[in-house]
Amino acid sequence: MSRLDSRTLVLMLLRFAPLILFALLCLAFGALSDRFLSLANFRNILTQSTHVAVMAIGMTFVLLVRGVDLSVGSVMYLVAVVMGLYLSDVSLFVSIPAIMVIGAAFGAINAALITGLRIAPFIVTLATLFIGRGLALYLSETKMVFQSDTVQALGRASFFGVPWAIWIAIVVAAVAWITLTQTPYGRQIYAVGADPDSAGKAGIRVQAITFSVFCICSVCAAIGALISASQVGAASATFGYQEEFPVIAAAVLGGTSLFGGRGGVFGSIFGAVLVQTTSNGLVMLNANPYLYPLVNSVIIFIAAWVDGRRRLMTERIEQRKIRIEA
Amino acid sequence: MSELLLKISGLNKSFFGVQVLRDVGFELTSGAVLGLVGENGSGKSTTMNILGGVLTRDSGRVELAGVDVAPSNSRDALALGIAFIHQELSLFPNLSVEENIFLDHFPRRMHGLPFIDRRALREQAKKALDLIDLQVAPATPVMRLPQGERQLVEIAKALTRQARLIIFDEPTTSLTARETERLFEIIGRLRAQGIAIIYISHILGDVLRLCDDIVVLRDGRVVGEGPRADFTIERLVTLMVGRSIDRLFPEREPAPGTNSAALSVRKVSQPGVVKDVSFDLRLGEMLGVSGLMGSGRSELARILFGLDPYSEGEIRVGEHTLSPLSPREAMDKGLAFLTEDRRGEGLMMEASIANNIVLPSLVERSSGFMHWLKPAALGQAARDVAERVRVNAKAIDRTAVRTLSGGNQQKVVIAKWLLRAPTIFILDEPTRGIDVGAKYEVYKIINQMVAGGAAILFISSEIEELIGMADRIMVMGRGEVRGFFERTNFDREAIMKAALWD
Amino acid sequence: MAETSRVLSSAPGDARSRPAQVLRWLLFSDYLVLALTLVYVAALSFFVPEILSPTNLRDIFLQILPLFIAALGLMMVLMVAQIDLSATSIMAMGCVVGASIMTSEGGYLSAQPWAPAVAILAIVVVGVLIGVINGVCTIVFDMPSFLVTLTTMMFFSGAAIWYTAAHTSSGSSIGSLPPAFLEIGYGGVAGIPYAAMITVVLAIVVHLLLTRTVFGRWVMAVGLNPKAAAISGVPVQAVVIGCFAISGLFAAFAAIIYTARLEAGTPILGQRILLDVIGAAVIGGVSLFGGKGTVIGVLLGVLFLSAVDNGLQLLGLSLSSVYAIKGGVILLAAVTDAIRHNVMARG
Repeated sequence: MSRLDSRTLVLMLLRFAPLILFALLCLAFGALSDRFLSLANFRNILTQSTHVAVMAIGMTFVLLVRGVDLSVGSVMYLVAVVMGLYLSDVSLFVSIPAIMVIGAAFGAINAALITGLRIAPFIVTLATLFIGRGLALYLSETKMVFQSDTVQALGRASFFGVPWAIWIAIVVAAVAWITLTQTPYGRQIYAVGADPDSAGKAGIRVQAITFSVFCICSVCAAIGALISASQVGAASATFGYQEEFPVIAAAVLGGTSLFGGRGGVFGSIFGAVLVQTTSNGLVMLNANPYLYPLVNSVIIFIAAWVDGRRRLMTERIEQRKIRIEA
Repeated sequence: MSELLLKISGLNKSFFGVQVLRDVGFELTSGAVLGLVGENGSGKSTTMNILGGVLTRDSGRVELAGVDVAPSNSRDALALGIAFIHQELSLFPNLSVEENIFLDHFPRRMHGLPFIDRRALREQAKKALDLIDLQVAPATPVMRLPQGERQLVEIAKALTRQARLIIFDEPTTSLTARETERLFEIIGRLRAQGIAIIYISHILGDVLRLCDDIVVLRDGRVVGEGPRADFTIERLVTLMVGRSIDRLFPEREPAPGTNSAALSVRKVSQPGVVKDVSFDLRLGEMLGVSGLMGSGRSELARILFGLDPYSEGEIRVGEHTLSPLSPREAMDKGLAFLTEDRRGEGLMMEASIANNIVLPSLVERSSGFMHWLKPAALGQAARDVAERVRVNAKAIDRTAVRTLSGGNQQKVVIAKWLLRAPTIFILDEPTRGIDVGAKYEVYKIINQMVAGGAAILFISSEIEELIGMADRIMVMGRGEVRGFFERTNFDREAIMKAALWD
Repeated sequence: MAETSRVLSSAPGDARSRPAQVLRWLLFSDYLVLALTLVYVAALSFFVPEILSPTNLRDIFLQILPLFIAALGLMMVLMVAQIDLSATSIMAMGCVVGASIMTSEGGYLSAQPWAPAVAILAIVVVGVLIGVINGVCTIVFDMPSFLVTLTTMMFFSGAAIWYTAAHTSSGSSIGSLPPAFLEIGYGGVAGIPYAAMITVVLAIVVHLLLTRTVFGRWVMAVGLNPKAAAISGVPVQAVVIGCFAISGLFAAFAAIIYTARLEAGTPILGQRILLDVIGAAVIGGVSLFGGKGTVIGVLLGVLFLSAVDNGLQLLGLSLSSVYAIKGGVILLAAVTDAIRHNVMARG
């Protein structure tokens, strides 16, 4: 019994590792920079983390069914380019649905290859990562693409004192949360992630669910592009480049497992804030910009390591015993 | 109350030309419990899988309340009111109890909207859980429930689908005594509600206690049928094992029994797996290991070969003590291990026969610091040993193992270990899923090895096979050794009782 | 697509399936890629005859060498059903570390006669070390290899930039490498470039390793069925770590050739060839499902990809289009691999 307790303790520790990391980071940055622990900066962090949060929510859907989507950064750039080049004259009521359709279509291509031919998701999305970015670079001729004034205005505007970006993130989070926890579809996503074979036997349409989550992920990437592009005002050739890293890191730091079946919306938002806090803190410290990718990769590594440990521990606790003492 | 619910007649089924069901038929009234017993491979699972929509029949009729039915998948069966609770539960540990119960028919908020009505869900789940007297909050994740309660959740699931017939396949293998009592009480309650039950179990005492009627299957035929009063455990065992299959086993000289111990196992224990297992295996001896699924026999084999850990005890080969978790060391000391999962653990299905055969012997058959191989010599060695066990294939270096029959595949696994000339060979269910002719050949190969002085640990769930082959039989149950039987006093019924009784 | 595979798997002897049989033969043939390359080059030569000029062919040949080495390394990892996305960052890191040792502008061993040798050793050590980290994280810590290697890719790409900045005033590259080292790039004996000799030796080594040694058989066994391999006494963890180490080692060799050609250590070395390396291996018939791959297949894959690359450049396509097309080629290769696998599984 005491052995079991120590295991449960380690599991708890692993579970709260991201929170502990967050507290430590805040303390460290706060001690090193007097500007870090201010309300204005906190607001700043929240606003900056919105696009990662929205994309991480989408990634959560994919990770829940044991998939992964590496192409989100390219979708982001493709959408920003299309928005700047072809949708600058239309109202947001037209352009926002349009980019969501583009996202869904991109996701559908990923999904068709993954579910139809059973190719590993990482290889499909790695290929579409390059195809998407190549296509977008072709459209933009590798030049800077400026966003229309309406889009830029959206980036600056507030509603009840809260930036639009945060409102959008709240809406996305609410819709995602309701979908995952309050609909049969959402609960079935969790079942598919826990055990695809059993889910199939229980009459769940595994293929259809897998298909749909990749579409959702790409739609979220498109919304992330809208948010980010409105904040930055333009898309350079490196817009969204390697953005899959913070997005996956955010989801996994938020407790979503790479092995499927566990995770949620609020965790991913927390993960996005954690990732953004790190970048923000490094800026505050005037750290060498070359350090950013190093720090980011260490964080994603920790997230994946914790996830791997946690799975092993849970498996051991879950393992069926043959000999049962009555 | 007691109208006829299920009538099965003239059911036939064969796999790859082997007939596994012959003219099976029985009846079941609602509110009754039918016990279905028989050895592994007697046709119980096949019959139930046809009923539960997992398999289709070749011929015969299944009538449910007077209507002909032929479910083609488990959803169909459920819609007809047939719920099948498998030995391996199909619950999702990351979802709550209520969600598992209603996973494919959630109550919805307002008509047609895709939102779960949480309140209705909770109420209906509570109602279902009350029916089976399971006092857990419906929102508890299944992960937190012990095995026994998970089983009850499966029953609750069946009840919410208005099941008229619930099939239990070995429901008590992973339950404690108390949990088993509770299950029986609930089955009694279901019966009172007019639900018919088919109860499959190896534990004959339970069957006699619980069931109104009993059907005994052997070799795909019904060999006994009647009310509980007609049966005793002795009679059930006699019916199950039959008496007519002695000639299936090749002759062999019994072991002298004076050789030194090749393998000594002393008080090996691992919590939750095996407890205080001790035995000696002599050179030239074949020790049979009998036990039900989940008795710890396969787990013991994995521990002996260094694949799984053990917390206490000692395993010695001659004078040498094996270190735990080192299959390489076990192999170097002359051990070989044929696992029960041929496809998953025994073979590389996509690789050629030759590549499979030489895999465990590569290091010994290589030379130099880079462990250089001589493909020609290796190929010749593989051909020789394949010929010795008569693998039936033309070009063993080009034929993929995947294309072979089950019996031939098993011969490849045997060949790959024979190439190492092992002194101690652990065989876990070596004849599972292969046809009678191939079985006979496998028996002959094993006999040759014993005659050559090797020590064999023969694990099998078919008692007949052990009686026909072994010098001694060790019976296991719930991870412990229940007793030994010498060849001179082999007694099917005594052995089966030792394995079955708790 | 399901339709296609059903057609492909139809029984032989069926009169209607003659074209299907041809398709099936093509699908499984090792020389499908070679045929495609020849068709592609022949078709392209109508539009850009320069593609067949001796200078261009020599260009393609020289371009192939380091790519082939890196792809051979990746093949080892794919054989055990894992993936390594970190090859490019290994190249970048090895390149700048090596250059920092031997550069005559303030290198650790500047102007020492044995500086190139030490530098080469350092590059190799960097490669093997990163490979071992990848392997240990994957098989011991149970982390998905694509994520581990993505992380090391990001980390060491960043680290290489940082390292360069710390070692130079200009910040972008470390030049002034000793002439003896630069010889590796384009120099040679009797018309045979050193790079070609290194490549041929490495290719033969891999071929022998896979076909003639215990390790090669173990690699195949781990890729096909790790459980069966473990029960047959194969040290699965060591084999997987070994494959990642070889992948790192080979990336390091490729880095040596690239560095010598660029005549400088730069952190952006290899950045563009990640797709080429993966593409060449997968097109060359190395299965993503593990256990299957040959040196000659990878060579053909590299040949195909380089021909495509060269042709697209001669056609004057922009770099971004080349990117997109290469992504498409990889996808096509993965689709072919999946169809092969599905057809095989159905028998």
